[in-house]
Amino acid sequence: MQPLLVPGTLDSLSAIGQYVNAAAVAAGLDKKVAYRLRLAVDEIATNIVIHGYEESGLSGDVLVLSTITDNSLIITLEDTSRPFDPRSMGRPDHIDKPVHERPIGGLGVYLTIQNVDKFDYEYVNGHNRNIFIVNRPKIEA
Amino acid sequence: MAFNSVLEIVNGVAKITLSGELDAAAAPAFRTDVEKAAAAKVKAVALLMKDLEYMASAGLRALVFAKQKMGAQTEIYMIGLQESVMETIEMTGFQNSVTFLDSYDAAKVEGA
Repeated sequence: MQPLLVPGTLDSLSAIGQYVNAAAVAAGLDKKVAYRLRLAVDEIATNIVIHGYEESGLSGDVLVLSTITDNSLIITLEDTSRPFDPRSMGRPDHIDKPVHERPIGGLGVYLTIQNVDKFDYEYVNGHNRNIFIVNRPKIEA
Repeated sequence: MAFNSVLEIVNGVAKITLSGELDAAAAPAFRTDVEKAAAAKVKAVALLMKDLEYMASAGLRALVFAKQKMGAQTEIYMIGLQESVMETIEMTGFQNSVTFLDSYDAAKVEGA
């Protein structure tokens, strides 16, 4: 699929979601796996917009790429906000607490890591690259 | 599908009907209804979620906010959830703080 370039604003989340859904269909993922991938990508895209751009007083775009290989679908989000590796967040320690005792936040990255087969991050040439990999169903020979 | 949140207060219960896709861009509309429900000092919140096709953590954050604003004793009911939305809730441990129902049960929710 052609890459998608959108402004780094919350209004772009819907277009990113549609792009991921279309890539999931092209890769033959089942609906449940597709939903989980979309959630994973949406959470990181939300963090890029809110923390990477808006709260830092920066503006920029988000580039969404998809690659289908024999075994997997790879979605990559690229942005030009400050370097941030979501994997540094760790597992939130409040998952087991009642809701009224929880801090507001800290769930997005956790959901991302839980909902894809592999989540990777790299910083290359001034770009954050968040990489989401899900396995494709095995095709019967 | 675009997100929609409709609030109705019936017998001291805030019934919020959610439909479409609840991402971070849509969450403020939901949060506004939660704030109105809190201001009305309802005894319970019933979220009618049959037509909610997608929910990101921004939706869960609005629920944390609801519970904190209204107090732990305010019951939150989630009604008619789709399977994938339910899975996200279970993944984040929220199932221990809300009550799930298949359909709206006035005696149970309004009698609380």
